[in-house]
Formats: sequence, C-alpha cells, structure tokens
Amino acid sequence: MNPIGERVLARCKARGAEDAEVYISRGTEFTVRVYKGEIESLVSAESRGIGVRTFREHRVGFSYSSDTDPAALDGLVDEALENGRFNHDDEANVLPQTLAADPLPGLASPALGRLEPQRKIDFALEMERRATSLDPRVRRVGDAVYSDGTGHVEIYNSRGLQASFERTVAYGVLETIAEQDSEMQSGFAFTHGRDMEELDLAGVVQEAVENAAGLLGAKPVPTAIVPVVLHPHAAAMILGVLASSFSADAVIKRRSLLAGKVGENVAAPIVTITDDARLPEGLASRPFDGEGVPARRTELIAGGVLKGYLHNTYTAKRTNSASTGSAVRSYKSVPEVGVSNLVLTPGELSRDALLARVDNGVHVSQLSGLNTVNPVSGEFSLGLTGHWIENGKLTRPVKELTVAGNVIALMQKIVAVADDLRFMFAGGFCGSPTVLIEELTVGGL
Amino acid sequence: MPLLDQSLVDSVIKRALRSGADFVELFVERKRNQSISVEESKVQRVSSGNDLGAGLRIIHQGTVSYIYTEDLSEDGLLKTADLAAQVGRRGGGRFAFGELVGAPRQPQRIEVPPDTVGPAAKIELLLEADQAARQVSGAIRQVAVGYGQSAQEVLVATSEGTRHTDSRTRVRLMVHAVAERNGEIQTAMEAPGMQRGFEFFDETSAAEYARAAAERAVALLDAAPSPAGQMAVVVGNEFGGVLFHEACGHGLEADFVGKGSTVFVGKIGQAVASPIVTAIDDGTMPSRWGTLAVDDEGVPTRRNVLIQDGILVSYMYDRLRAGQQNHPVTGNGRRQSYQHLPIPRMTNTFIAAGAHSVDDIIAATPHGLYAKKLGAGQVDVTSGDFVFAVTEGYMIEGGRIGRAVRGATIVGNGPRALHRIDMVGNDLKLAPGTCGKEGQGVPVSVGQPTIRISELTVGGTGVAGGGAMRP
Repeated sequence: MNPIGERVLARCKARGAEDAEVYISRGTEFTVRVYKGEIESLVSAESRGIGVRTFREHRVGFSYSSDTDPAALDGLVDEALENGRFNHDDEANVLPQTLAADPLPGLASPALGRLEPQRKIDFALEMERRATSLDPRVRRVGDAVYSDGTGHVEIYNSRGLQASFERTVAYGVLETIAEQDSEMQSGFAFTHGRDMEELDLAGVVQEAVENAAGLLGAKPVPTAIVPVVLHPHAAAMILGVLASSFSADAVIKRRSLLAGKVGENVAAPIVTITDDARLPEGLASRPFDGEGVPARRTELIAGGVLKGYLHNTYTAKRTNSASTGSAVRSYKSVPEVGVSNLVLTPGELSRDALLARVDNGVHVSQLSGLNTVNPVSGEFSLGLTGHWIENGKLTRPVKELTVAGNVIALMQKIVAVADDLRFMFAGGFCGSPTVLIEELTVGGL
Repeated sequence: MPLLDQSLVDSVIKRALRSGADFVELFVERKRNQSISVEESKVQRVSSGNDLGAGLRIIHQGTVSYIYTEDLSEDGLLKTADLAAQVGRRGGGRFAFGELVGAPRQPQRIEVPPDTVGPAAKIELLLEADQAARQVSGAIRQVAVGYGQSAQEVLVATSEGTRHTDSRTRVRLMVHAVAERNGEIQTAMEAPGMQRGFEFFDETSAAEYARAAAERAVALLDAAPSPAGQMAVVVGNEFGGVLFHEACGHGLEADFVGKGSTVFVGKIGQAVASPIVTAIDDGTMPSRWGTLAVDDEGVPTRRNVLIQDGILVSYMYDRLRAGQQNHPVTGNGRRQSYQHLPIPRMTNTFIAAGAHSVDDIIAATPHGLYAKKLGAGQVDVTSGDFVFAVTEGYMIEGGRIGRAVRGATIVGNGPRALHRIDMVGNDLKLAPGTCGKEGQGVPVSVGQPTIRISELTVGGTGVAGGGAMRP
C-alpha cells in the first residue's frame, strides 16, 4: 500500500473512525496552444491530491487536501472526523463490500509518456496550418490546442480494499473562423483518443472548417412545424442533459424527471440507452468506480422502457438495491452518482438514408442554451443552428431558431436512429448517432 | 504567515531565469474551502479542504510556458524552476508585456472570518432557510440549501522585482426549491453571496431568500407556456446583467480581440450601442463577488469604462495582451487557480443606471415579454449570437404586467441587441456568479438596471396571439 494511504488509515482508526477510505489521485498535464505558426502557450505539470472519508456511528466525514505533508495528512483526518460530527446519521452510510474488479486493459497508452513534446507541438501547428489552407473563407483560427494527460487513481479502505488504475487521454481542439463580407462564423471540432496516434488530424480540420464556412450566410426562417434531424453531437448533448436524471440520488432527492417511471415508456420503442463503464473506446471507462466497486454495463432504457437507475453504495443501500458501480468523484469530493459512457444505441440506417426520409425539415448541428434546460421538469427552450433539409439533402444554413418542449416528449418522438455513433463530453462521455425526430415546432421569424 | 519565504521566492525566480527568459512570474496560492448542504431537511454534508500550490510562468519572446506544482518545499520549487527552464520554449515573437502600474489597494475588510465560526451556526442558518421554504406551500416537494465559504490568499512575484499579495474571502448561500402539483414540476433558486465574513448573514436573511425561491417555484406552477415570436423584451435588473456579460462582455476581452475573433475588433471610438448605454467593469467595488485588490498578475484593479454613451471606449486586458496591443493594463488578468494561466477576464461588469423607473418602462410597452429574472445562457463570441433562459417571466399587454409565463428563452445577437436598447432604468443592482472561459471558472458580478430591448426573438412552447402554431 502507498505509505500515504497507510498513514491516513492508521490515524483514522486511532482517532476512533469505525471505517475509513482514502482516495489518492495524481496526474500529468501537457497542453500546447498555437497561433499564427507560433506557440502561444505551453502548460506542463504534475499534480496530486488526497481525499479522506471517515465513518463513525453512521455519520460520514470528508476532507481533502493537495498538501501531502505528514502534518497536513494528520490534520486532514482530524478535520474529516470533525466534519462528520455534524452530519446526520444514516444506516445507508457504509463502505462497499470489497470485490475484486476485472482488469480493463488498454486504458492507458504507455507510448504517450515517451512522446517528445515537439511532436505534440507539431500536431497543433499542423492542425492550424491545414485549417487555414483548406477553404479561402477560413484564414484564421480562434483556437488550436493539443492536450494530453495521465490520471492515476488509488483507493484504500479499512475493509481491505486496495485498488488502482491508470488512464491516459489525448485530444486536439480546433476552432476556426470563417469570414465573408462583414460576417464571421466560428466552427468547432475536436478529436480524442488515449494517445496522440489515435487522433484524427485530417478529420478534425475538415470538420472545423466545414462547420464555420457552412454557416456563412445563415438566416432565420419563418416558424414551422417540421421533422428535425439531430447531428450526433447535438443528440449527445441532449443525452448529457438527461444524464443527471438517471442518478438514484436525484430520484431519492426528488430532483429527477425519471423519478417513479421505472417500467414506463419514457422514449420511443426504437430508443435504447446504456451506461457502459467498460466500453473499450469510452474515455470514461474504468475498472472500478470512485468507491472501488467493479464497473459494469447498465441498461437504463430498453425499447423505450425505463429499466432502472444508476447507484453508488449509499443509494443502493438506501433503496435496497445493488450498486451499479456509478460512484463518480475527484479527490475534492465525496462519491456522487453519475454516468460513465452514456450511449444511445445506434441503428442500422446510414445517415444519408435517414436524411432521405425528410422532404422538408431542419438539420441541427448546434444546440445552444443546453445549460438552461431544467433537469427536474425536463422543460427546454433552445437556440438552434444548422441547415434546412430539402428532399433529403442539406441546403441553406439557418440560425436564430428556437425549439421548445420537454425532454421526455422529445425522446418519445424519435422515429429513426442512424448507424453513425459519435461521442462527446457532455456531463459524461456521451455517444449518439444521428437521430430523426418526427416533428417539432421550430420558432423563427 | 507569509505564503512563502522571500528568500525562497527570490531563488526560485533566479533559477527559472537561467533559461534566458525575458520574464518569470511565481504565483503562489493557498485556499481553504468549506461547504455544507442540507437536503431532505437533514445535514447531508459538511466538507472542507485545502488547496495549496504554485505556478511558474516563463516568457521567452512571445511564447509563454507554465508549470505548476503542489510541492512547495524548497527542493520541490527549485526542481519546478529547473523544469520550467527546460520546458520553456523560445518563440519567434517579440517580448512585450504590460507595465505593472497603479498603487496596490488593501484587501477587502473581513469582520468575522468565516473559519472562526463553527459549523453549528451555519447549519442553524440552513435549517431555518429549509423550514422557511417548506412553509411557503404544500406544493413544495423538495428544498436543497447550501452554504459555501472560501478564503484565498495569493502572492504574485516577478523577475521585475515586484511582490503583491491579496486575500479574498467569500461567503455564499444557495437555495433550490422544487414545487409540484398534479405531476407538473417547477423549480427556482436564489444564491446571494459577497466578499464578506460571516457578518454577511447579520444583514442577509437566509430564510427570506428561501421563501423567495419557494414562492417563485410555486407561482411558476400557474404560469402558462411562453409564446414564441419577435417582441419587445424588458429585462429585469440584477442577474439580468448576465445578458451583457455573455453577449458583449466576453467580446471585449483582449485575447479574443487580439485574435480578431469578436465583432468588436477595431470599433474603439465607434457607436456599438444605443447612446443611452454606458457599461463598466469595476474590480474595485467594496465587497463585490468579482472584486480584487490586485488581479492574479499583481495589477491593481480599476474602474474601466467599456462603453460610454454608446461609444466603445476600452477592452479588458491582462499584461500579455496589454503589451501585445500596446495598451495600459486594466487589472483584468485572472486565473481560476495556480493550475491555470492568467487570461483577460471580467470582474464586476454592469450597465450603468439610467433615468426611468421600472413602472415607466412597463407602462411604455404595449406588447412584450418582461424577463424579470434570467437564468443560464450561452453565447458564441465570434458571431455574438446568444440564448438565455427566462426563469421568471410575464407577458406585458397594454403597458401592464399580465400573466406569468414559463419556459421562455430569449435568442438574439449581442451587438444588435445593444443598439436596440431603448430604455434604461434607474434600479441598478449586481449579482454574483461564476464565469467560465477556457475551462477556468472565476467569481464575477453581473449587473444592470431594468432595460428594454425593442425587439428580440422569444422562444417558447405556447401559442402566440393570432399565430398558426400548435403547441
């Protein structure tokens, strides 16, 4: 065991904690931002921190610190125990049963640590160079960033748990600026993987340029009731909004719009949604959760029917069910309930075949104001940008449109899902294919 | 207790300079946080923590390198300085950096440091607020209340020989109420906060804020869905200022300006708003959420007029962009923590008060939406397009406030909306918030008096008068 973990657990016991848990994380970060062929800034760091949970008479105490000096560690334990005195006692406050998690190979790329910084810098420079030479209307970038990191997590508890894993991530982020007459539009795209080698440089450039240039000349259109096609990213963002409602904690505290709906049709029969913490390509994949409980795949909605919720040890105990290994946290927080890789299962239709089903409608590439959606009532009113669809083809760009409704009603109106699954970070690592919604009121002029 | 010995500060900077850098800056931060939450009328969580770390910024010509660490021992810091010297890269650009000018001001005065008050008094406050909210109506089905405090100490030392410190103590209350009737759910929240000690709660009634949130959640149950369409929009004071912050303020930050990615580039001296609009960013206002004695680069904060009578006067700068764009510093260089590079950020940003009372503004509006409270929003800095949720809204008909509406959003373009402000109220108020940019969250104030925008797109599910839409 890590000597820090050992010291902390020993002190917890000496100070009267019946049970205790130490969460230690350390990581590295490398980020380079370029502009006009030069490095604008470069960040490089190693970072660490520790969080302690104590259990005494069913009261949980918590405290964290980035200072791992022995004196600071002792203070940390005392503070956690003192905090715990004020919390209410609840029999559901327990450590999980200690179970060994199956290893999950491939989460960390050993090659990343050996990669020369210059190659990362070159990646960012190349991204900018290509982005400004593909389309005459795109001659500048707003942002061109390469970033990678490693994260190492260790959890120890007084029930004998000793678990650790490492994960790496690399990504490229590109924001281009398209100009025509006096109009400016920005286009955003990103590429991600566990290593620089997995990044799709050509793809991210193409997409950022198309996103910006494709919106030039976008205009509002009159209000209409039409079929709506959501780009995988737009649909994934909606999944992200729904994510918090799958939490059993939100259900218990009556903050979930899915509360009391297990067994009900909360989406169209074509909709199946899973949370899969062991998905090979999922950037949120992990062998165990923030309490050390083995990670797994949980079906949340199958054939449109709500199957259940996500649990950590506390919510499982409180509702007499089993943990789904869904405790999420950093060293600065206690384990909350959250999604890992949340996926809307793709269908068999190609994106083109899905679009071909629309004679007159709107294709949404960007939804704005998702942070305004009420996660409790599910009511939303969003701004949308994209293209008009005529006879199955994207035509003129449109903007300043609004669409309003309820997330559940929206899920119930999904009539087709394509086969082009794509992921993005949206309150979890959310993946969705292109989605066709039967009909919505799209507000405009 | 000083954050770091002077002699150690000096040797770290000296060591990092060995790389031949033009400039070295050491930022040291210690932050103590405490948070308490009450849900289901029970104390769910008392937690606390310490952040302690340092960041070294090295500039070679135009290129910035940054290394941070949690190891503040002499060995650790010198190792970091060596690493910084090694990682630091020589750029091709010219080194230009805004000169550090202005007299440092005193940190905010704190009467009762919140760390000296035990959890019991804070819990009492929260339980009182919880009860107050629940007593508003039987329709209140859940209440969550929270208390948060933080005390941040910073030291900024540079190779120019400057040393600046600041200390920032903040306390905040959060109330979230959920109302339900016949399966219909509505929520509302209040979150007052100041840079004060625990004395803040001598004048601020937690119970009153809790009641206000609960009453609003219940009132929303009776609200009709908002109609969609183009109309005049009266935006309420206080947090309504988030509209200016997001849709215009970010566009006036010098990093976006330097990259030419905002609509305000090259518009200094030009009319960018209606002549009744004056907008200010003021980092000096006593006790405000975004106030600083010195910014996170050691620059004393100032009151910066951004727009005077509709004319664009100034952008907001950090030292790097001030140097690059040959402009004096404005005290807007901020960072979330020692793990982040400083970038141009707002402090307390608001539209100045005008002549009209709210009653005048409503009475002068034949038809429109009164967006009394705004919620979250989103903006595209490049195009200036924005979307905001209206969390408390009413229709205005014939110069009178009519039925309450829910689910409304306002959608538009920042620069266009600035030109369409045709009435400015006299009821300026500020509200605290956390502003996010490039993954960094910093505390700011937003604010404005009640204003009227002559025409904006309103989104909602309801049926507009005479419209052909169905819900």
